[in-house]
Amino acid sequence: MLILRLALRDLLRDRFFLLCNMAVMVGVLVPLLVLFGVKNGVYSALIGDMLADPANLQIDTSGNATLTPEDLEPLKDIPGIAFLTPRVRSQFDFVNVREPDGRRLRQALLIPTGQGDPTLPDGAALAEGEVAVSAQLADQLELTEGAELQLITQAEDRPKQLVLPVRVGLILPATRASGRAVLAPFELLDTVEAFYDSYSLPDYGIEGTKDLADRAQTYAGARLYVSRLEDLATVQTAVEDALGIGTTAKTREVASLLGLGQKLNLALAGTAILAAIGLSAALVLGFWTEVARKRTTLAGLALLGLPARRIALFPVVQAALTAAGGLALSFALYLVAARAADHLFGGGLPGGAALAILSPAQVLAVSLAVMALVLCAAGAAAWSALRLDPASILREGG
Amino acid sequence: MSLTLANASVRLRDGDRSFRLEVPGLTLAPGEAVALAGPSGSGKTLLLELLGLLRAPAGGRYVLTQDGAERDLAALWRAGSRSPELASMRGRTFGFVPQTGGLMPFLTVEENVRLPQEIADRRDPAHARDLIERLGIAAVAQQRPAQLSIGQRQRTAVARALSHRPAFVIADEPTAALDPESADGVLTLLLETAKQGGSGLILSSHDLPRVERFGLARRRLEVTSGAEVFSRLEEAPC
Repeated sequence: MLILRLALRDLLRDRFFLLCNMAVMVGVLVPLLVLFGVKNGVYSALIGDMLADPANLQIDTSGNATLTPEDLEPLKDIPGIAFLTPRVRSQFDFVNVREPDGRRLRQALLIPTGQGDPTLPDGAALAEGEVAVSAQLADQLELTEGAELQLITQAEDRPKQLVLPVRVGLILPATRASGRAVLAPFELLDTVEAFYDSYSLPDYGIEGTKDLADRAQTYAGARLYVSRLEDLATVQTAVEDALGIGTTAKTREVASLLGLGQKLNLALAGTAILAAIGLSAALVLGFWTEVARKRTTLAGLALLGLPARRIALFPVVQAALTAAGGLALSFALYLVAARAADHLFGGGLPGGAALAILSPAQVLAVSLAVMALVLCAAGAAAWSALRLDPASILREGG
Repeated sequence: MSLTLANASVRLRDGDRSFRLEVPGLTLAPGEAVALAGPSGSGKTLLLELLGLLRAPAGGRYVLTQDGAERDLAALWRAGSRSPELASMRGRTFGFVPQTGGLMPFLTVEENVRLPQEIADRRDPAHARDLIERLGIAAVAQQRPAQLSIGQRQRTAVARALSHRPAFVIADEPTAALDPESADGVLTLLLETAKQGGSGLILSSHDLPRVERFGLARRRLEVTSGAEVFSRLEEAPC
């Protein structure tokens, strides 16, 4: 396209003015990009740190209630819940753990789990008869995956121990489960509770005072996880409304971090808007002045028969090329600044995370926004070019 | 093919001042060369603007006759001064030699000469090179206008005006910025090249002795000053 070629040739000849306009863009964009990147980096490191511990996504009912399966049914309709399991009474969730022929015995917390539990690694599932154990417990008992285990519980008024044979399906990293813990299907915890309630468990050789068939299914509470930190407060309220009992969750800490993110976003948006206003004013005046300076050239093109609408594209093409150059230079300088910032301050972030982060989607969004801003600014110059009088070349001389 | 402007007029106002140009009749044929003569402010450039589709006539008739068919050029203004048809007709029908070149500063001499060919979609690199040779600017063909003398720039402007083989060339004081020797050289080349290319040429000049020396047909603008400055193109060549 002729006008594109002419605009490019003129732009390259006027390299000094091209660099001036690019410098204006770079001066505004680079500090904003660094701010944006650092906000992303610090915030995502904090969020990542919080998400790494599934306990931050957890909601637990308080105390020991008496809930029926029907009571828990409405919870399944609450959006945002990733995993839900009933709980047994809190005094029955400790067991002793040992290998069948081992001498070492450790007390551990017995936690209900199942498919979708964020405490388990993504996509992991426990097969029939398997449990997951915390890293600390595995370390103390020198357990490996596939190892046979016995979960042993002893009620004070019962002559015999309940021994539950299980197999280690997963060993959880320390970030997923702290202390000594065994994660097992709820049915296993229910068996322990039935034992404490003096029910006969013929499968395990336990003779109690009550027949298991007479036992009504009740739960002491529920333990659930939300999918996203943003849903924690909403889901907690909905669960409390549905069950009519209190719950515990790290809502305040999560809300505090999310609030920090929103405040940072607002501060950044405010800064970006002010910068955009300044940049727009500078670019509108810059492009307008360029057309005024090149009035003779553009009028000369009109004299030779180039239609006004194509001539109006001349400053627009130059603005787009300037913006592309300005963006490329800005992102290059941002990368340099980000590396320098990482080098100087990055060590303080958890897991050695990058201090300044811009995702490809954010880079694209920034580029499109800047390009739109520049093209709008060039619109004024295009309008000015559209109104040039080709006769001025004859009247005023070239 | 011929251009005919008849009973056309145009009025300019600037504050309290008013200027009116009247053209009872003007015809220009390919190969013909006409010089517009008249004192400064007589409306020579205004008349060239009318002819070159750079200013709308207030009335009268302006037609391009080709193979017996008439094209109403004045009607092109009805679509507006920025209409693509008007610009296209201007580019394809006319070549312009402004007083001081009007060249594109970011293009070389050769690219400047070829530019009207690209705009009019009549690419002919051999013709452009031939014009550059004939006008004696081959040695500076790859240089930009800023590196040229004023005479070289005017010769480049002449080559550019003729490169797309327009039917008519409009030259506004093409030698005004040149020293006498260069002025004669450029005018000679302009007349010869336009004639060889079969283009009709109309030029304005206040340099009557030079116009007479070159034997150009002259059309004079007579100015009457009053409440309104009135300029009228004489009916017949003088």
